[in-house]
Amino acid sequence: MNNNTRGFFVERPLPRFEVDPKVLCRRTRRDVLVFGAGAVAALASARSVLPHAIRIDDEVAEALYSPHRAVPTYTKSQITPLRNNYNGATPDPSYIPGWHLTLDGLASGVSVALDIRSLTTRFSIHEQITRLVCVEGWSAIAWWAGVRFDDLLGAYPPVSQAKWARVESSVNLDISGNPDPYYVSLDVATARHPQTLLATHFNGQPLPVEHGAPLRLLAPVKLGLKNVKAITRLTYVAEEPRDYWAERGYSHYDGI
Amino acid sequence: MSHSTPPDCEPNSTSTLPEQPGVLVVRKHHFLVRWSHWLNVPILLGLILSGISIYWASPIYQHKPDPNTGNVDVAADIGIWICAHVPGLHHYSSPPDWVYNQFSLGPGMLAVALRLHWLCAYAFMLNGATYIAGLIAGGGWRGLLPRRTDLRDAFRMLRYYIGFPLAKLTRHRWQHPCFNTKYNALQRTAYFSVPITGFLSAVTGWVIHKPMQFHSLAAIFGGFDAARVWHFWLMWVFILFVVPHVILVFADGWDTFRGMITGWSARVTRAEATGNEQ
Repeated sequence: MNNNTRGFFVERPLPRFEVDPKVLCRRTRRDVLVFGAGAVAALASARSVLPHAIRIDDEVAEALYSPHRAVPTYTKSQITPLRNNYNGATPDPSYIPGWHLTLDGLASGVSVALDIRSLTTRFSIHEQITRLVCVEGWSAIAWWAGVRFDDLLGAYPPVSQAKWARVESSVNLDISGNPDPYYVSLDVATARHPQTLLATHFNGQPLPVEHGAPLRLLAPVKLGLKNVKAITRLTYVAEEPRDYWAERGYSHYDGI
Repeated sequence: MSHSTPPDCEPNSTSTLPEQPGVLVVRKHHFLVRWSHWLNVPILLGLILSGISIYWASPIYQHKPDPNTGNVDVAADIGIWICAHVPGLHHYSSPPDWVYNQFSLGPGMLAVALRLHWLCAYAFMLNGATYIAGLIAGGGWRGLLPRRTDLRDAFRMLRYYIGFPLAKLTRHRWQHPCFNTKYNALQRTAYFSVPITGFLSAVTGWVIHKPMQFHSLAAIFGGFDAARVWHFWLMWVFILFVVPHVILVFADGWDTFRGMITGWSARVTRAEATGNEQ
């Protein structure tokens, strides 16, 4: 080989030296023991370190979020089918006529109820074709329209110390069709993102019941499980509220 | 790889030769390389087991629902086939879950699997950085760089490995190709590719995990769905590396194994030691 040229990238001969055979044996024994002890120590400390370490990603996800970074938008030709992912049964549409959205935790101190007409007439409607990503790994590109969550926050400001919103749907059902209210935690910073909508339309039509008629959350910077269908109540709070899937072992920030 | 027998490490042999000058050793691996190498064992195991559990939730390879079972998952088909054809598995309780029960945390473990996968992924990235630091600090990176002669030498090594079992059976001499580099061409290609595979795994992992924040990165791999396919097959590169890697280390013997623990290899001849490089 051309070791003589000694270019920067050329492999050097390995440093060699003579040792007493006993030294080699002792070093081998020592290192095997050290590596073994390291493995045992790592296993022993796992129990105390793991519960914290396993949550690192929530903090990383939060640090990655930027209110100025927009999610990609697509053209109508790129739209893909979006399955009805109601975990259990799709609710009976009989709730829709009497539906209203209740706002709690407002700076005014009073609770506000809005029907779908007052929402769509009061705020301007924005359209977007964005990807909805499920925690399971599948995703779909869909065409949405609705009011900006930020506009609602502007019109009905939350209490000053509010960092979180509890987004709730009381019409959700479990697999056997029994009432199973669905609730997630949503940081107000994400709610203020310009692409976070309170969607009223899907593919140019009013939201169908399987996609959360008459109003659903569409936060494309979050996993699909935060995109609550058929929202019935928004509550602004200072501390992170309960989250349906976090209580079932999933992460709770879920920023993507 | 040289062919000299490693000096015996047993105390008996040293005590019978009290005046022997000593064992010639070479320093092969920096300690950061050795530590990160071994840490990869639990980390990669955790990543693969949890990764396959995550795969279960939304398999990449799906077909139209089976008319009888409604199954769409190719991995479930493989489990069904194995349980139907492998003796002793005919009464397996849930054949579609066989693959997931053997090679993952199990079906329906998405929440735990995601948490474990992310934890291992952060550990894997830190460990990869440690490995690179060790390669730089110990100068070992030079030994991994591809050479112009690699293709020809890789074929020589492949010929050796393929002919080896037959030569053993027929008791023919079967000479190991001679190289005076740290690694032979096949090893070098493998050890050069694995860090790249690790890097690509990490990048595609980020793309899948944060497809909105890293959407421009996703475009490099052909988008979110394509990145999932990349990530899946990058796992297979690791598996296809690890299996022969472990077999060959055992076949090669104690000195190679010890080299990754102590950093020293005693497999060096006196002739080489005089400093006359060939």
